[in-house]
Amino acid sequence: MRSIWAVAVNTIRQALRMKIAAIFVVLLLVLLPVLGFTTTGDGTLKGRLQTFVSYGLSLTSILLCLLTLVASVYTITSDIEQRQIFTVITKPIRRFELLFGKLLGVVLLDAGLLVLFCAIIYGITAYMPSFYAATEAERTEAANEFYTARANLVLPDLDVSKEAAEDYGKLKATGQLAQFYPGFSEKEILDQLTKRRRLEKRAAPAGHELLWEFENVRPLDPGERLFIRFKYDVSVNPPDSYVYSRWLVGDYRQIKYGTPIVTPIYEPPMRKDPIRTFREIEVPADAVAEDGYLAVAFLNVTLNNMVVIFPLEDGLEVLYKADTFTANFIRAALLILLRLIFLACLGILAASFLSFPVAMMFCLAIFVTANFSGFVLESFSYMSDSVYTVYSYTLKWVIWLLPQFDKFNPAKFLVPGRLLSWSLVARVAGLVVCVRGFLMLLLGLLIFSFREIARIVV
Amino acid sequence: MEYAVETISLTKVFSDWWGRDKVYAVEDLNLQVRYNEVFGLLGPNGSGKTTTLKMLLGLLYPTKGKTVVLGGDGADPKINARIGFLPEESYLYRYLNARETLDFYGRLFGLDRQVRKMRIEALLDMVGLTAVANRAVGTYSKGMARRIGLAQALINDPDLLILDEPTTGLDPIGTRQIKDLIKKLAERGKTILLCSHLLADVEDVCDRIAILYGGKTQAEGEVKELLQQTSKRQIVTDAISDGAVEKIKQIVQAEHADCEVTSPMDKLETFFVKTVAEAQRQATPTSGAFSTTQIGEFLAADKAQDSILDKLVSAPAGHESLSETPKTEKVAPVETSEPKPDEQLLGRLRTAEPATPEKQVDTSEVESLPDAAAGQEKIKKRVLDQLTGKPTSGDKDRESSDQGKAGDPGDA
Ligand SMILES: Nc1ncnc2c1ncn2[C@@H]1O[C@H](COP(=O)(O)OP(=O)(O)OP(=O)(O)O)[C@@H](O)[C@H]1O
Ligand SMILES: [Mg+2]
Repeated sequence: MRSIWAVAVNTIRQALRMKIAAIFVVLLLVLLPVLGFTTTGDGTLKGRLQTFVSYGLSLTSILLCLLTLVASVYTITSDIEQRQIFTVITKPIRRFELLFGKLLGVVLLDAGLLVLFCAIIYGITAYMPSFYAATEAERTEAANEFYTARANLVLPDLDVSKEAAEDYGKLKATGQLAQFYPGFSEKEILDQLTKRRRLEKRAAPAGHELLWEFENVRPLDPGERLFIRFKYDVSVNPPDSYVYSRWLVGDYRQIKYGTPIVTPIYEPPMRKDPIRTFREIEVPADAVAEDGYLAVAFLNVTLNNMVVIFPLEDGLEVLYKADTFTANFIRAALLILLRLIFLACLGILAASFLSFPVAMMFCLAIFVTANFSGFVLESFSYMSDSVYTVYSYTLKWVIWLLPQFDKFNPAKFLVPGRLLSWSLVARVAGLVVCVRGFLMLLLGLLIFSFREIARIVV
Repeated sequence: MEYAVETISLTKVFSDWWGRDKVYAVEDLNLQVRYNEVFGLLGPNGSGKTTTLKMLLGLLYPTKGKTVVLGGDGADPKINARIGFLPEESYLYRYLNARETLDFYGRLFGLDRQVRKMRIEALLDMVGLTAVANRAVGTYSKGMARRIGLAQALINDPDLLILDEPTTGLDPIGTRQIKDLIKKLAERGKTILLCSHLLADVEDVCDRIAILYGGKTQAEGEVKELLQQTSKRQIVTDAISDGAVEKIKQIVQAEHADCEVTSPMDKLETFFVKTVAEAQRQATPTSGAFSTTQIGEFLAADKAQDSILDKLVSAPAGHESLSETPKTEKVAPVETSEPKPDEQLLGRLRTAEPATPEKQVDTSEVESLPDAAAGQEKIKKRVLDQLTGKPTSGDKDRESSDQGKAGDPGDA
């Protein structure tokens, strides 16, 4: 244990004294305040805050990621190339202890720098309203939509695979496949049928209503407000591009079972909203029942005379303040730290068998791919059947091994003031660090343990 | 556990990336280093010395054969805890200073803070880098780095010391110190395996040697046996009168032997040591190494005699400068006496004792007297010794170790 700690301290010293960290630190110390004063966004306070946090966090994250890769790869490869390792591993330290020490050093360095930079970013966001002398309205907007951690509940995608398969079967039996879907593969046709079925569940013809029930709604404070954010699609464009509607928000079970009304049910007056535009309905958060139940009902009034559809993905969501901005910010920083830990493991794996430049190239390639992994994964889903089969047995696993940094980008949560829940952080910790990072580390330890250290390969 | 280090038909073949172009770096090597022995591995460049040491420590894996180090595997942490290793070059962390470097290695051995602190100061003092201990070792000269490398190898008070060319890059004083140190460590029960191609160094310190060439052993045995010229004798005297010389010549001629008489020349080493000692006495400033020959107290301080010795050794530095002049003078006549055949005839007056490396600590009472008078007295005593038949080689051994024990800064 003592020797692991000694190696960790030495690693930190190396990063600091060899000025590897210095360049990143100086860059960030200069750039962050500059960003704080120069970003304008859309000109409002909220816009400034969003732009600053987005750029500030991304910059910090990217630079620390690079630092982690360089530091972890360098600390091992330089030991081997400059041969200090000869005097180190001939001491009573096991090889895996040496690598653990290096990992610990890099992670501690990361944690320290991350705390420093996040404190700067947090400080600037906290004082931004004063720097910039914002108006009262801007402050309220920022408080509602930025200095908050709003949870968002979206409509679940229902499982319609059975219906879609039936549709497919029917089309096939009647020989209409070729007529409706000329030249499409079976997978593509099924995809389209599934999508149609899903939309059907989110569509209300004139005079019909849709009811959604949410569970586990936990507003931070019942005195706060709930926001129902939605967007309409329509079957036929109305002449004025407006849709009329009635809504009901609250504990619908009280109506359904005729029990006395304990939690208030809100029925805003008839609304008129433009189509294909995000709109929000605001109701007090005490509409949520004790047990976290909330129902939202939508009535397509007959006046409209067309089918109203809530698009897949972002058709409707319920937003409420679930936590404070500060807590959310800390979790965002943790998310970055998890990413850094993963990269440190990756660096150690690469350095366990590659020389510095090669290991760096290897790590950077993986890092960049991980940043676009969502895109990469998606692009594969448009492949033809045969290629897809090959892919799903080979590359898919390799890509699965990469963490999806883009999916867990902390700015994605902080900019719109979205809740970054502990459970998500825990999931990332499990997936990225415990599974993938650990696998890489283990592989690195194995390779390093059996490696002939003094062997020079030219 | 018969041997401290043993290799059994050890072979190392280097092949290139494709598995071609084989280099037989070490071939079928059988070495046996006994406990408490100074063993020298000699050989020209590229003869496989370093490769052998690396295999002993698990830095390279043997192609064939095996190694046993202190009764176990040289890569095992438990065994490593008892080994001190100085690689071919001092590979140090450039950004650490001397103290931090030693502290780092001390921590790797899991030493307590107090022990570390004590040993680090003792070792820095021993290798003469206390004054520059707060400078980054990247700025050190080659020899200074070498000294830190050596200190690093001693921090765990090892039972087995593996030194790869310990004296490269060192000034003559440093070389001399290391040789003294090696001898003294051997006296204290350590086993030392060193490799070198500086024959003079090896000759001075090693009990046994093996000469490698092309990865194979060419010769092996006790240094004394391998080198002793049984057909010649050598005698050293103080400046005696011409009459006495004549008499001696007559005795020799009566034996039908040749005889040559000259005044001995100083060895360059001795001269150098003297000059630097003089400069140090005058406190000429230096940014390099300035060392005492004090051996770190902790090194095998378990023996009772050593603790007394160490007390003597760690006498305050103030009076040490006084003793240096006599000490260095005392060195001269003995060291230079070796190639002078004119004195050989006096050997007849001696008993022809076998030239065993005596490890006596017999002169400590003399060493503790630091003043010039004592030095003079000691020289007289030596002459007496010679006349009363102490063996030359034993004499010489004791001579150099005396110097170290006395903690004499004049040598450095
Ligand atoms: N990693 C390696 N790959 C290929 N050949 C090597 C390697 N290491 C050493 N050798 C070869 O093995 C032989 C022995 O080298 P070694 O370093 O043991 O010599 P040495 O006796 O220590 O020489 P020196 O006195 O110069 O230090 C040399 O021919 C050398 O070129
Ligand atoms: Mg060598």
